[in-house]
Amino acid sequence: MNKKSSYISIVLITMILGVMLAIQFRTNQYLDQGVTADRAQEMVAELSRLESDNRKFDRDIDDLTYKLEQARKGQTQARDAITDELEKAKMSAGLTSVTGPGIEVVLDNPDSTGIFIRDEYLLKIANELKGAGAEAISVNGQRLIATSEIRLAGSFININLDRTEPPFQILAIGNQEKLKSSLEISGGLVDYFRELGIAVKIQTPSSVTIPGYIKDLQYDYAKSVKG
Amino acid sequence: MRIKPFHLALALVGLVLGLLLSVQFRVTRDTVKFPQVHRVNTMADKINDARTERDSKQEQINKMREELDKLAAGAALGALKEELVDARIESGLTGVSGPGIEVTLNDSNLEVTNGGNPNWYVLHDEDILKVLNELRAAGAEAMAINNHRILATSEVRCTGPTILINRNQRIAPPFVIAAIGNQDTLINSLKMRNGVIDSLEPWGIQVSLKKVSRVEIPPFPGSISFDYARPVAEGQQ
Repeated sequence: MNKKSSYISIVLITMILGVMLAIQFRTNQYLDQGVTADRAQEMVAELSRLESDNRKFDRDIDDLTYKLEQARKGQTQARDAITDELEKAKMSAGLTSVTGPGIEVVLDNPDSTGIFIRDEYLLKIANELKGAGAEAISVNGQRLIATSEIRLAGSFININLDRTEPPFQILAIGNQEKLKSSLEISGGLVDYFRELGIAVKIQTPSSVTIPGYIKDLQYDYAKSVKG
Repeated sequence: MRIKPFHLALALVGLVLGLLLSVQFRVTRDTVKFPQVHRVNTMADKINDARTERDSKQEQINKMREELDKLAAGAALGALKEELVDARIESGLTGVSGPGIEVTLNDSNLEVTNGGNPNWYVLHDEDILKVLNELRAAGAEAMAINNHRILATSEVRCTGPTILINRNQRIAPPFVIAAIGNQDTLINSLKMRNGVIDSLEPWGIQVSLKKVSRVEIPPFPGSISFDYARPVAEGQQ
């Protein structure tokens, strides 16, 4: 074997070795950022949420395009367009009465000497129902909106600054199965309330009507930000 | 032929090459077994694309709404417009700004004592719920937690060290709750004797309050849609 060819073969082998090392290194890097199933699942959820938002936005854009076209035609059409936009905003804000399949939960003291039903319990029920995808919730006829409080005031509970007392009737519209199981899950709120001695009744009427928020909205501090 | 040191070197290189090959083969095979590793990168790209798309659509929608509002400039529409602005603020569809406060909540800095339940020393969804509720009772006009707007349907749920909000979006401590409203009323509502802060203190949960002259609260970055609820026709109630 002459010297020249042996050098060439060594150069070749080292080159291959180098490339392989590089590949190996990269593969290992990928493995290091290994992804747990939880994270992957979260990413899938995030993506599907964004995709669904995008589909809804497309509908909003179509809707607004149509309204703009109409509004340019004249004052009457503009009025209609704005009125429709207002109806949508009111619906989103919880100012409109709504109806749909849902759940009715009634909490009561079995007798007047029974356990005191705390504001916290109502907060928790509402929160659980929201988590289960409730689209509208009311407690004793008071619609819960973004600024609604549920708060002990003396011996009453104030909701939207309105006094209420037991029995508390909570209505929610949404997927009935999900709403029901969110409360009835073992070790969940219903179990907890019953343990405390609160009478809990749950029904799933095929149609529930929930009133809109009836007071006037007033903003003294918050100003809407453009665009 | 005599064995030269150069042959030994060759043999060594061959050996290393073989080893590398087999390791490489196994690693590659394992990688294929975990499709997530491959998919994560494309997933992340897809998510970023979808988010960019959403943000640009959101911007387009905001502009269209503004344009529509301008078209409705006539005197007869003035009242309608005002009502619309208020409804949009309440629904969380528009971003808002104004004077308010920031409440920062963080897990306890106390050491768990022997026999103590570590769970007592971390923040719970309930604690956050209570703070939000107090602020509402004190007249908060708009709120956000870690920049997620609080809607009528916003839930706050515990999952281990993180909290889920607004359709399962995960946020981690510290939790910063921003609220617009009367600063003194808001702060006093939390500082009240036997109030929320008093109830968290024994566990060393860190609460700090700050007045902010201009709190920025983002809109809900999505469309609010109803799959089950239908508006009740007027006069039908």
